[in-house]
Amino acid sequence: MNCAECKELLVAYVEGLLDESQEKTVSEHVKDCKGCQLEVEQSTNLRNRLVKNGKALSESHLEDKVLNRIIREQNVRLKAGAKVGLGLRLRRIIMEGRITRLAAAAVLVVAVLIGIHSLTGGTVTFAQVIEPILKARTVVYDFIIGEESNPVIMHEIVVGTRIRRTISNLPGMTQILDMENGKMLVLDAEGKTASYVDIKGQLQEMTKSYIGFVRKVLMELKDSPNVKELGEREIDGQKAIGFSGRGRNEEVSIWADPKTAVPIRVELRLGQLVVVLKNFKFDEPINDSQISMDVPEGYTLEEKVIDFTKGTEEDFIESLRVWAEVLLDGKFPEAIGTENYMKQIPLIGEKLAQSGLSKDEAAKLGMTLPRGMFFLQLLEIDEKYHYAGKGVKLGDADKAIFWYQPKGSENYRVIYGDLSVKEVSEENLPK
Amino acid sequence: MSETDKYYIERCLDGHPDDFRYLVRRYQAVLLAHLAGKFGNKDSAEEAAQESLVRAYFNMNKLKRPGAFFSWLLGISDRVAKEQQRKQQVRRQREAIRSYSEETPSPELSQDYALEAAIAELPDAYRRVVLLRYYGGYSCSQVAEQFEMPLGTVTKNLSRAYLMLRKLLEQQKQEEIYEVQK
Repeated sequence: MNCAECKELLVAYVEGLLDESQEKTVSEHVKDCKGCQLEVEQSTNLRNRLVKNGKALSESHLEDKVLNRIIREQNVRLKAGAKVGLGLRLRRIIMEGRITRLAAAAVLVVAVLIGIHSLTGGTVTFAQVIEPILKARTVVYDFIIGEESNPVIMHEIVVGTRIRRTISNLPGMTQILDMENGKMLVLDAEGKTASYVDIKGQLQEMTKSYIGFVRKVLMELKDSPNVKELGEREIDGQKAIGFSGRGRNEEVSIWADPKTAVPIRVELRLGQLVVVLKNFKFDEPINDSQISMDVPEGYTLEEKVIDFTKGTEEDFIESLRVWAEVLLDGKFPEAIGTENYMKQIPLIGEKLAQSGLSKDEAAKLGMTLPRGMFFLQLLEIDEKYHYAGKGVKLGDADKAIFWYQPKGSENYRVIYGDLSVKEVSEENLPK
Repeated sequence: MSETDKYYIERCLDGHPDDFRYLVRRYQAVLLAHLAGKFGNKDSAEEAAQESLVRAYFNMNKLKRPGAFFSWLLGISDRVAKEQQRKQQVRRQREAIRSYSEETPSPELSQDYALEAAIAELPDAYRRVVLLRYYGGYSCSQVAEQFEMPLGTVTKNLSRAYLMLRKLLEQQKQEEIYEVQK
């Protein structure tokens, strides 16, 4: 065996991989060859060093550390998963159906009440055109909030302190309001179900009798010196004469037939809220059953679960969360306010139509949006607010999405994308 | 060996994270040796090894061939090492700006850093054989099986690896002597 041949087998030799005869040959060569002896020595040293280091590293205790990290990480993932799960659950809740649909519709009560209420401070006056409203036993009209180009129309029949209302983008839903007793009966023709809603408290305080209230306002307007004549204009192909008056925070225009003085159209601008009443009919014969607070035959009464007596900032924040999380996949709406809310109703209804969750949960969630919107409506009329949530994602703590100045406060309340709230002085408001 | 890898991998996928323990035990030294050479400091290597193992665990479902766990794991650790080295670089730059003269304690070197650094310089094919043989506790024929090559190729690769390692270690020694003399 020569040195080259020996070197070739060196590693196999120190690794003990050679068969007996090969090993013997190498051993014999190495015995007589100083150079190869050194080679073997060095290779053996290296091998020992590798084995030693390998052994040392094998005794590291990564096991526990790694497993602990895996468990921690897994918990984090589970929680994130649970969050996703919660999102899905919320989605299912809002899809629940009737009760939530009822609740969604319920907010519209508020819109109407507040609108009328704000007129108390109004100083507008207006003469003959109010006669029919004052004297009519029944008044029927369409009620529109916001833009008329793509409107959600509420059709209302008012008899004394009772109102029967249907809403154009909630087919099959009827609300009957008993303003005297602070109660609403909501009927769903589709599922043949009925539900009572409380509208007591703050809401009922505002106006005890709906038409009585309208009449009171009109009486006040009668002799006010602040009424302006708007002249004549054509409305829906009909000649009309207009009057307008301005209060502290509201502006009212009323258009009527110049010959008969029958009102054709009433426009209310209440802070940031615009309301139009039109297609009036007076003294239409109305069947009592249409405004009865009893559950009609063939309908099942749902448990009374909807409480609509207050709306707080907290409710509003919760409604923003639901609006973003459930309706818009984690983004805040482009715009908020009663008008935009009303346009969302079909979307809510749509989602509700398919699921099956517990009624309690559904009702709770269903109340969230309307309650929050109630809070917002109060702001729309009394105080100014600013909304900047367009394009902001839910959870974005750096972006202010909403601020307003609460009554009697010097500071503003600012709500951020993660739905945290801070009190901020005027000069520090977001730009 | 890879047969049992497969068994533990399946156990993990079936939701028994505790069985990952065996894979950690089997491959920790491989990872540490592989990474220590890259980092030159024990803590970083350990951190990277942990991170690699954790990532491997959570991505186990992406491992197509359970027999390839070892190579796959090394691939993960290479990416982890790159990420961490980038982070360390940024941190060092920041520290350099912050405290020019302040002396930072030198990090603890791993036990045979010279050897690990030399391994890190080996070509991939040789390094994998060395790692698996001496740090993974595989015998030469098991290594052959793992890489689906004849035993002769393993010993040939190992021979070349030995030569290179000896050379690299010798170079290092020379450099150290030179440093001392300077």
